[in-house]
Amino acid sequence: MNPKVNIIALVDVVGALSDGGLGNGNLGLVDDSAFESTGRGTPDLCTVVQPGQVVQWSALAVDVQTPVEIRDIVFLGPDGQPAGPARPDPEPGENLDVNVWSGVVPYLAPGVPHRYRLELQMHEGPHAVLHVDSPALMCP
Amino acid sequence: MPSKSKKSRPGTDRPISITAVVDCVGALASRSLHGNLYLYDTNRAAGSTGLGTEELRTRVRAGDRLLWNVISLECETYAAIDAIVVDPEVCEPERHTYPGTDITYWTATVKPGAPDVAHYQVRLRLGTRTEPITTTLRPALVG
Amino acid sequence: MAQQLAIIVLVDIGGALRDRTLDDNVYVFDNMRFQGSTGEGTGDLVTAVNGSYWSDGSQGTEQVLNWLPYALGGIPPTVPRGYAAERSRQIDQQALDDLRALADGADDEAAGGVNRIRRDIGTRVRSTRGARGLTSRKVLDVTGRPVSGADAAAAHNYATPIITDITGEAVDEKIIYPAEYGSPDMVTDGWYWSATIDTARPGTYAYTMHVQLHELVERDAGLRWEAVDLTCEARLRVVTEPKRNAFTGGGLGLLPVYPAPPAAPAAPPA
Repeated sequence: MNPKVNIIALVDVVGALSDGGLGNGNLGLVDDSAFESTGRGTPDLCTVVQPGQVVQWSALAVDVQTPVEIRDIVFLGPDGQPAGPARPDPEPGENLDVNVWSGVVPYLAPGVPHRYRLELQMHEGPHAVLHVDSPALMCP
Repeated sequence: MPSKSKKSRPGTDRPISITAVVDCVGALASRSLHGNLYLYDTNRAAGSTGLGTEELRTRVRAGDRLLWNVISLECETYAAIDAIVVDPEVCEPERHTYPGTDITYWTATVKPGAPDVAHYQVRLRLGTRTEPITTTLRPALVG
Repeated sequence: MAQQLAIIVLVDIGGALRDRTLDDNVYVFDNMRFQGSTGEGTGDLVTAVNGSYWSDGSQGTEQVLNWLPYALGGIPPTVPRGYAAERSRQIDQQALDDLRALADGADDEAAGGVNRIRRDIGTRVRSTRGARGLTSRKVLDVTGRPVSGADAAAAHNYATPIITDITGEAVDEKIIYPAEYGSPDMVTDGWYWSATIDTARPGTYAYTMHVQLHELVERDAGLRWEAVDLTCEARLRVVTEPKRNAFTGGGLGLLPVYPAPPAAPAAPPA
């Protein structure tokens, strides 16, 4: 078993900002899990992981000269809303690129997708942050 | 004695170009051109001011031909002028296409008797957004 | 930022050729204002390069700069760089088509003559295909239409400026490693200057862009493009910060998955 699983968010930044959303093919999530993840290439990626593995997220702009960074990743509670204390908003102009979005998979009830909110920041402004609640981690 | 104003045949001189440099991603992220638009023209020597701002004041005279085009800071991002909103007493901008391409530019000729200061607005189409975005601050043609 | 940084060098060609300097005739931009660049759209751009490093000191993110020179008051860069050459071919082709139409309506002798001319012109047109130097092109105006004679000198579209070198403090100090690269990209017609950045040594570093303009001059009863070499400066402000885990603010930890993981693994549900 590979000790690390990478999840990459491929973002059509201009498409996402134009549409005001990450649907419509503007976001594709892929991973390199050795298990049978589902929804690869879509915002509905369910990455199959095992406790003890390290998962690392990163974001890449399909249009290479546009900016995209992960602003937040929050796991959802049973009500489908982000659970736990909110992380403070980044300061304006803060270099989000220093953030490493990685962590060790804890024990998870098997067969249950643990969905998370992936929040992406593209440039700055009132419409610069978009999110999806559809991706998940799941233990086999 | 050489004539002070060198007359040339109409249409044979270079027009005054007005170029909108736009940070498309910034404009889409804020849905506003404010802070994301830099206007320039080629008539600084004749007295244009405000180059590099959203309030460019282009020095014009009756009969001058004007040409507007747009440059995107992100070179692969679509940006085009959707309309130039200006008093038709001043000039009537028309859309054209570079022959053999689908890339557009706008031209107009300054009419006689135009007011000294004529403000106008530029409406831009950016990215794949269907709604155009209009300038917040107004550039002007000044006599 | 992990993105590639574009630096746009917009030259007021008319002004620069008149003044023989790029001072006050160049406007430099990058797409990093929101990351702290200053002097956008002026002759004094300071590009923010926000680097990062790992706990072992190695560079965190590859930083790349691309320089794109454009002509103010010229055909915009969205029109492919090969446009003038391509338009020359289209214009010749149109002339041939007009000639063909003329030949179709003419008597046999005239048609034969016109067809011979057409063959001759056609050969020459074909032979210039692929030749994209300025000298082999027709002179176009800023709307992409051909101009000739005295009109050409007054109304021609300015040739796009070319960066011929990048030198100066940032290069001497080995902060940037600039080079000219080939690319199939239509926008740059295959060539552009690019550099990777060493973000390990924070500071502000100046660099000089060597820009070649082309002036259409009348000489020996003909029009010629002549090179005019000028320079302008810009700066890079390099900062670097340590990478940190975004979930914990420190080192690697358990992912905060709801519900919080129990202290000891519970038995899986039956």
